[in-house]
Order: sequence, then structure tokens, then C-alpha cells
Amino acid sequence: MSVPVPETESQTIELTACLVGMPNSGKTTLMNAITGGNFRTANYAGVTVSLLRGKSKPEFGRSFQIVDLPGVHSSVSPSPEEELACNVIEGKNSRVRPDAFILVADSTQLERHLKFAGFVARQARPVVVALTMMDLLGRTQQFVDVPKLAAGLGVPVVPVDGRTGKGVSDLISALQRECDHPVSASALAELPDEPVSSFKAVRELLDRSGAIRRVSRSRHTDALTARIDRFVLHRYTGFPIFFLILISLFAAIFWAAQPFVDAVDSGFTMAGDLVQQALPESLISRFIAEGLIGGVGSVAVFFPQIMILFFLMTLLEDSGYLARGATLVDRPLSFLGLHGRSFVPMLSGFACAIPAVFAARAIPAKRERLLTIWILPLMSCSARLPVYALLLTALLPAAAWTQGLSLAAIYISSLLVGSIIAGLASRIVLRHRNPSLLAMELPVYRAPRWIPILRMTWARGSAYLQRAGVPIVVVSIVLWLLSNFAISSQTIIAPAEMESSVAAQLGQKMEPILRPMGVDWRVGVGLISAFAAREVFVSSMAIVFHIEGDNEETQQAGLLAQMRTATFAGSSQLIFTPSTIFGLIVFFFFSLQCFSTVAVVRRETNSWRLAAAQLVFYTGLGYVLAVVGVQTLRALGVA
Amino acid sequence: MPLNHWCRIERLEGPQGDRDRLIDLGFTPGEEIVVTNSSPLGDPLVVRVRDALLALRRREAAWIWVEGQ
Repeated sequence: MSVPVPETESQTIELTACLVGMPNSGKTTLMNAITGGNFRTANYAGVTVSLLRGKSKPEFGRSFQIVDLPGVHSSVSPSPEEELACNVIEGKNSRVRPDAFILVADSTQLERHLKFAGFVARQARPVVVALTMMDLLGRTQQFVDVPKLAAGLGVPVVPVDGRTGKGVSDLISALQRECDHPVSASALAELPDEPVSSFKAVRELLDRSGAIRRVSRSRHTDALTARIDRFVLHRYTGFPIFFLILISLFAAIFWAAQPFVDAVDSGFTMAGDLVQQALPESLISRFIAEGLIGGVGSVAVFFPQIMILFFLMTLLEDSGYLARGATLVDRPLSFLGLHGRSFVPMLSGFACAIPAVFAARAIPAKRERLLTIWILPLMSCSARLPVYALLLTALLPAAAWTQGLSLAAIYISSLLVGSIIAGLASRIVLRHRNPSLLAMELPVYRAPRWIPILRMTWARGSAYLQRAGVPIVVVSIVLWLLSNFAISSQTIIAPAEMESSVAAQLGQKMEPILRPMGVDWRVGVGLISAFAAREVFVSSMAIVFHIEGDNEETQQAGLLAQMRTATFAGSSQLIFTPSTIFGLIVFFFFSLQCFSTVAVVRRETNSWRLAAAQLVFYTGLGYVLAVVGVQTLRALGVA
Repeated sequence: MPLNHWCRIERLEGPQGDRDRLIDLGFTPGEEIVVTNSSPLGDPLVVRVRDALLALRRREAAWIWVEGQ
């Protein structure tokens, strides 16, 4: 038996099988089925692409390490993602050494999906073809004879349905048989690399095998997809359908998630109170209750929204609508230098910038992906909502409807300003780079399957917790320490003595630059603490203005009352006037006040420079525009 | 190219990299394609090639020359 032993993980003799195939071949769904959803994303230095790694479920027989490689169109002119996949396939990557390949091919588009099979088959490693989308053959009036196809290709062919798990155990046993008794040569290995001749050779190979029966060549239209597209891409109904879906998404994220958000919020508050009651009053107990539980709580409070967002996005993606939505908006977005697919991250950005940065991975071209990530901090994320609520109530105390209207204006402006910045950046900074190709595949519409969608939602949600959770918790703990310690003596400072904490000292040092914005050091402390998460601004303002309150409503009411009378130290000049409140709103609108976003952008772009530039650009812009706004309003006679 | 009218590809133009990518996607000379939809704003177009539906911007579609054009 000449089974090669993996060199990297020598402690196990488990074989590594790589899933290879074109984008949209159903690789990741199959990955889910083989591993039972139990996989982790592994990032690789130097590339922004991540590989999914997992173990095949034991009930399928021998256990394999399964690696899901990025989708590959071409091995001849690859993109960075494809290059990584090709390097792994050729055994040039030191981290992943494949012992066998599962070539995932859409059975309704065999010509396209087998085009680069020659490249895989020539690596002298066992290859098994997994045929996906078999349930769609009938709808496209085709028939595939699996035994004839296997005979024609010279490698085992196993029909699978990753969504139901059908055929997966057959696939693993076929893979096991191939690893035990590798075949030396197959017809697949004869396929050339050069695409035009490869397409020709694949067609000849398929014709010779007699495996495909169809009405006519290349003309198989799925009637259902054509019928739905007639409405979804229609001149008059296309955009109304699109906006209806967007509005439902917003409603789900902000309204349907609210009870869960409240439950998580009060759960963590209760847990914190319990710890403080149970433990004797000490530095440790306060650290656990406020720093640790509070820090974890500030991540958890966004979790319901983000899970709902991931769930609905996966649902839209799985059903086939997402690519249509991207097609509808590609024209305006590509005018701004973005990509049709940018609408998904931009939309996610209204919930939270962090999942939005992850979502930008779906944009294939680097230029458009980076530009999308660049404007994401402007999208009015839900952490800004409590801040705007406080400031707008302070600014417009009388009428609730003007507050609502102003909030809507803020949301729409954030989209508009993002568009302007993207348009300018693509014409000034990136003008020498050509726009990339759209050439986006529109998958066939399919009824959603709930289990795989829930699994994928969970996989995305836990990836979010892993990558975003750690920075958020660390930043909140650091800021808790800053606001509870003085730098000279390592003594615990009660909230009443916050004036002497490190955060307050920083705030006081910042006072010269805060004065042009019309605010004092106490607001500075709020602004610093908002770097953990923007909504922390409200609670830390409550602390510096000595507000005692058990729940948010009394806290906010007390804070508002304080804000109305707060004056600069040693003078009777009011701090919170219409002009300064407006200045603060402008500041929160622009500034990138979220260290977690900075950390996630760094990871996703693999560039500290980009992440730091973003932080400096938006926070600087927010400050300058806030100062200009405050001074202009004052010059015009607004208090 | 009119909607829902099958045409045979004659040749491809455009920058080398983009042309290669179009070929990788299945747009090879001699292959039959059809424009099935145009999005509401007129761009991109939806093109069927080798049993797949692809959204192409007009700029990209213009690089694909079909017979009898």
C-alpha cells in the first residue's frame, strides 16, 4: 500500500482530502455534510483567504481531514484565492498537503465544472468526483448516467446531496477505496490546462462516455428560474421586490431582534449584580462584574442581531436571490467603484461593521473589496443608535417625530456619504487600477433547506464570536481598567472618584482639543470609552456625570437632566447647547470609534496600514467636521 | 444583441486578463450563447453559456463578438 503519510501532522496518520471545484459547485455545503458542520476556518498569513478545515464524521468510515479550498475557475490565470488553491493542489503549500481530492462538480454544468479537472487529476493523488445538484437535472431536462460517466472519466463518480447528506457516506467509502488502491492513470488526467482546448476535450470526453442525455446542447434553461427572474429582474418589479426584501431585513435586524437583545442585556446585568452580591466588595469582584461580565456582555448584546443577519443572508444566498440583488445594484455601485456584491456588506454594516467586513469576502476582486471595507465604518451601525437616541432627545426635547425624522436622515446620509467617499476614492486614489470583471454566476433558484442553513448560520456566528469577540472583550477590559485606576497609586477608585482615573487624566489632557468642539473633559472620557463600543458612551457619560440609575430609562432621564444644566468648571457656560450636541452627532457619524472594527479590518486585509489609515481618516474627519460645524453654528448665532 | 436570440461566439476582445477570465467562464469561440435578461437599469445583462447563467456588464459583454454581428 503506497499511501503517503502527511508530513505536517505526523502525530496522526489521518489522510487529508481537499475539496476542490468551481465557485458555486456546492463545496461548502458538502463540507458541512461531511464534517457535520464541525469545522473551523484557518487563516493563512499573506493571504486574506481562509480555508475551512474539519474532520469527516466517524460514521462514514475512516476519518479524513477535510480541507475546503477556495473555488477555482482557472489554473492558468489565477486570482490570489485561486493561486492558494492551486498551490495546495500541487503540494506546494507547507501547511496543507493533500493526499486525495474530492472534485466537486455541478451535474447540471459538467462541461464548466470538469474543465480544470485535468490539473487535479495529474497530481498523482486519488481523485473522486462528487456530483452535486443532481436534484436539478430534471428541472433542466438533463439526465446523467453515473456509471457511464465514471467509466468515461476513469475515476469514481458519486452523486451527493450536501443539503440532505445523501450519498456522503458512499463518497467517503469511494475515497477510502481509492486511497487503498490508487489507479495510476485516468482519462481526466489527459485533459489539457489551456482553457479553450480543455473545454473541447471535456465535451469530447462527455460525448464519448454517453453519460449525458439532454434535449439540446447548452440550451437547458430551468423554467422555474426563468419564470422567477422575469419578475426579479423586471424593469418595473425588480427594484420594488429588492427594496421589499431590504426593508424586511432591516425590520428583522432592528425590530424582531429587540426582545432578544433586551433579554441578553438584562441577563448580563443580572449576572454582574449577582457576582457583586455574592463576592465581598473588592477590586476583584468589581473587575469580574463590570470589566469581565460587562465586557463579554457588550459582545453578547449584538449577538442576536448578528445571528438573525447571518441567518437571513444565508437564506437569501442559498435560495439564489443574493446574486440577483447584486445584479440589480451593480450599475450604481460599479459607478462608485464598488461591486454589485458590495450591497451585502453595506447592508450588514447597518447592524455592525464587523460581520460586514467578513461579508466583504464575497467580493471577488481586491480593489472593490478593499474599497467596500473602506466605507463600511460610515454605515450607521446599531451601536450608534443609543448614542443618537440620547443626543437627539437632548437636542430636540419637544417633538418625538422630529427625532425620528432626524434619525432617518442620519441613516440615509450615512449611505450617501459612504457613496461619495467611495466614488472619490475610486477616482482619485485608485484611478490607475482598472475595474475588475463582474461575470457573476446566477445560481438556479432552490427551495431553502433549514438544517444546512442553520448550520451555516451557526458556523458564521461562531466565527464572528471567535474573531470579533476577543478584541471587543479585551478592549472593554482595558477601558474598564483605565476608568477605575489612577496611574500614580494602584488603588481602586469608586465611580464617584472617576475624576482621578487614567481615563479622566487622558480626558483632561485632551481638553485643549475638545474645547473647539465645545465640550469639556467629561465628554472626552465618554468619547474615549466609546472606543470599546460606541454605545458605551451613554453609560460612561452617566458615570462621569454621577447619575445613579438602576435601568436604562432612569439612567437616561437623569443624564438628560444633568446635561441640561452641566457647565464648564468654574464658569456658568453650558456644555450641551444645540451647537455642541450637533457637533457630537457629526463626530459619531464619521469617526471610527470601535477598536474591534480596526482589529477585524487588520485581520481581513492583512494590513495594519489600511486599518490604521481608516482609524485616523474617519476619526480625524469626524473631529474636523464637528469643530467646523460647532464653530459655524456659533458664528451664525446658534448657542 | 437582441434578448433571447441564440448567437454563436466568433471571437473575444478586451484586455488579456479579462479575456482569459471570460474564456475560463465558458465563452469560447464557436460556443452558442443567449442574453436572457437585462437588469432594470439596463446593465448588467444576464447571459446563458454552457448551461450557466452569468451576469455580465455591458462593457464586458461588448468584448464578445458573435457571428452575423
